[in-house]
Amino acid sequence: MPAAHVQARRRPRVRRIVLAMAGTAAAWAMSCAFAAAPEYQLKAVFLFQFSQFVEWPSTAFAQDDAPFTVCVLGEDPFKQYLDDAVRGEKVDGRPFAVKRLQRVEQVADCHILFIAQASPQRLDPILDALRGRSILTVADSAAFAERGGVIEFVTARNRLRLRINPRAARAADLTISSKLLSLASLVPAGPEPAP
Amino acid sequence: MTLRRRLMRAALLTSGLALLLTLVGFVAAQLITLRESTVAHQSSLGNVIAANSSAALAFQDPEAAREILAALRADPNVVAAELRDPAGSPFAVYPADASPLPVRVPEDGEHSFEGRYLIAAYPVVQGGRTLGTLVLTSDMAPVYRQLLVLGVVAAIVALVALFGAYLLSRPLQRQISEPIAALVGAASAVSGRGDYSVRAARLSDDELGRLTDTFNDMLARIESQLGRLNLHNRITRAIGDRQDLPSIFRVVLQHLEDDMPIDFGCMLLYDSASEVLTVGSAGPRSAPLARQLAMAEGTQIVIEPSGFARSVRGELVYAPDLGEASFELLQGMVQAGLRSLVAAPLMVESRVFGVLVAARRAPRGFSSGDCEFLRQLSEHVGLASHQAHLHSALQLAYDELRQTQKAVMQQERLRALGQMASGVAHDINNAISPIALYTESLLEREAGLSERGRGHLTTIQQAIEDVAQTVGRMREFYRPREAQFELARVDLNRVAQQVLELTRVRWSDVLQERGIVIAPQIELAAALPSIMGAEGEIRDALTNLIFNAVDAMPEGGTLGIRTCVVSRQADAGLPADEAVILEVSDTGVGMDEDTRRRCMEPFFTTKGERGSGLGLAMVYGMARRHSAELDIESAVGRGTTVRLKFAVRAGEPESVVRLPADSAARRRLRLLIIDDDPVIIDALREILEGDGHAVVAADGGRKGIDVFAAALSGPEPFSAVITDLGMPYVDGRQVAADVKALSAATPVLLLTGWGQRLLDDRDIPPCVDRVLKKPPRLRELRSALAELTLPA
Repeated sequence: MPAAHVQARRRPRVRRIVLAMAGTAAAWAMSCAFAAAPEYQLKAVFLFQFSQFVEWPSTAFAQDDAPFTVCVLGEDPFKQYLDDAVRGEKVDGRPFAVKRLQRVEQVADCHILFIAQASPQRLDPILDALRGRSILTVADSAAFAERGGVIEFVTARNRLRLRINPRAARAADLTISSKLLSLASLVPAGPEPAP
Repeated sequence: MTLRRRLMRAALLTSGLALLLTLVGFVAAQLITLRESTVAHQSSLGNVIAANSSAALAFQDPEAAREILAALRADPNVVAAELRDPAGSPFAVYPADASPLPVRVPEDGEHSFEGRYLIAAYPVVQGGRTLGTLVLTSDMAPVYRQLLVLGVVAAIVALVALFGAYLLSRPLQRQISEPIAALVGAASAVSGRGDYSVRAARLSDDELGRLTDTFNDMLARIESQLGRLNLHNRITRAIGDRQDLPSIFRVVLQHLEDDMPIDFGCMLLYDSASEVLTVGSAGPRSAPLARQLAMAEGTQIVIEPSGFARSVRGELVYAPDLGEASFELLQGMVQAGLRSLVAAPLMVESRVFGVLVAARRAPRGFSSGDCEFLRQLSEHVGLASHQAHLHSALQLAYDELRQTQKAVMQQERLRALGQMASGVAHDINNAISPIALYTESLLEREAGLSERGRGHLTTIQQAIEDVAQTVGRMREFYRPREAQFELARVDLNRVAQQVLELTRVRWSDVLQERGIVIAPQIELAAALPSIMGAEGEIRDALTNLIFNAVDAMPEGGTLGIRTCVVSRQADAGLPADEAVILEVSDTGVGMDEDTRRRCMEPFFTTKGERGSGLGLAMVYGMARRHSAELDIESAVGRGTTVRLKFAVRAGEPESVVRLPADSAARRRLRLLIIDDDPVIIDALREILEGDGHAVVAADGGRKGIDVFAAALSGPEPFSAVITDLGMPYVDGRQVAADVKALSAATPVLLLTGWGQRLLDDRDIPPCVDRVLKKPPRLRELRSALAELTLPA
């Protein structure tokens, strides 16, 4: 009876995969269990990594040696982690700069903007304010990407995933690497939301 | 191992090694190429996977990374893959259940071969930052399997190629081995059979062909050298059998003409004293040409212009082309068709005595080997000639020695015979002495003898005379040769008669027994003048001539003996001359010219064992010593005449001993007779006393001297002493010496049976006044006594 035989042989592998997944989940749960900080530490690293997989138009930089600026709008959840993540790093020969903003009017020379804990009511005016600017907007608020943000941090099954709105990126004149796109879930290209 | 096998082995080893190296190189190159292509292939794969993995690493997405790695499934060679974060910890693995890599992992961007696996590490880079490392492990086994298949195919191809090389090299190596095999065959034929006429076949035009040509050329040279050596040996052997120069020349020229060969050959003889070059002999086949060239044997050749001037100075002359010569003789040779010539000097002790001339019709007809051969041959001929000369000289010396030895032996034999004859003669003389004395005395004194008695006594007396003469002649005949040659007057008529009588046994008695008759024909000239000569020698010579004449007439004939006088009147400044001829002739077989010419040579005889070959030589010696002319006339079948012509010396007076009258002045003497034979003493005493002398006899030398000494001091000393020569103890010489010592004036007469020998030997003792032969003749005794005792 070949089928039963195959079944019998496959079972140990299935069990091994299950065990491995359980191990990985346990490790992830443990890292989350230590503090909230590691979550944002990881998000800080992700913010830095976006600079590696996204291309900005040259008009986004005031001058050739202008720093690559990562801004946090609102209350900063990263504390020291963001500064640690970009310290000493460069992108295309430009040094990193971290700015913490309270108001959206201050985003003039920002290239990546993390919008912290923005309520949907507050978010729309901010996105409206940023329209036309080559700024990669990142947030972890729900449905951020559907609402017009470029990248949204999504936590699924205790793992940090990415949701990307390619239309928003195109609107901001940003080119996102296919490698990054292949990792993320994408906002389907529907009709352009009404302004 | 044969040459063919060696060549085959060399060819196969060389091509096999080349094929093996090619195969190894091919496989190695293939291995390297395959590895590099594998590395390159894996590298491009790895780099793509690594680039695709960067986002997964950057954004901590192992599942995405596993999916990317799962794409490797498309390449079955990749057996394992592992994505590592910068710290080196595994981030994702492929396949999912892969065990950790058991081997060292190389640095980023490096690769290494571990066993059957290729392991390479590719950095995962994004924006200049290294996000991690991708390690790929490929299994090289399929590659190696492919390589193995390639290698096996290549090896099969190589083997096929090697077999092809073997098939191809067989005809190729034959091109080398066959000429060499031909050379080997020729060489073994030469060394095995000694056959130098074989030649190796020339099979190619390359170095082997030249080697074959050189080998054949060498063989040809050896063959010609051997031929010359052989010829030289044959000539040497032929020369060795010959001892005279013409014969040597003839055999050398004959061999040269037949075997060298030459077209013309002759020997020239050179007399360095007169600088004359003479044609000694021409080769048998060259002789007609030599006569045509005016070079017949014995012809003189002018040296200077003939071109032989250098030859007679000892140089070998080679004229390769006579057409260029300007000398008359050589131009004559050119006209006769001869174009090249070699003239080799014949030398003995660096003196040229001849020239060997060899010529050929072809220009440049003599190789250097030929010239060298002729030079050596001429040296050899020179030596052989010298040896022949030495040999003949030695033969001459030997002949002389043998002749001398024979003569000495003959003389020794004759001397012994002579001594024996003398002893016999002495005894006979002693024995017949009384008979002679008594007979003479009786006939003289006994007047009353009857006629018949007187007649008988006369017969006895004549018989005694004959006996004495016979004995005397016998002694004469064996006269020793060492006696000095002393000339005396010789009456040839008397000698002739004497010899004829002596040889009568030979020419009459012995032959008559066999019924052969030899008639003597004697013609002796009356009033023949005597000549000065040695009678014994003349007698011997005449005896020999008569013997020869008798031997020449085995069937009988006439033996002629003739004497005559020839005289020449004085004219034209020559004094008057007179000669006596003694001639012996026979009517026998005669002699041919050759025999006549050689008959004087010692030991030349036609009589075989019977003849000594010395007879005519002795005659010749006698004639020479007597300055006589010897002339022989002979004709085969008609006989021989030998004529001896003795000169007569004019003006030599006949010495005449005039005896005093028998009894006219006979005086009474007192005589002492000393003899050991009483019979002789008695006879002498009776006869001398009959003559009126007083005779005292002593029967011994010592007694005689005593008697003489006693009488000397007495009243009547002896008037004379007659003593015998041979006596025991004290002989006649001693007696004579003692007598003369006592009284020098007393004459001493010596009476001896050896008389003639004493005279010949000049052995007459100084103290003896007269020697008388036995048997003494009464008349001689009386006249001697009368002469010696004449008053002063």
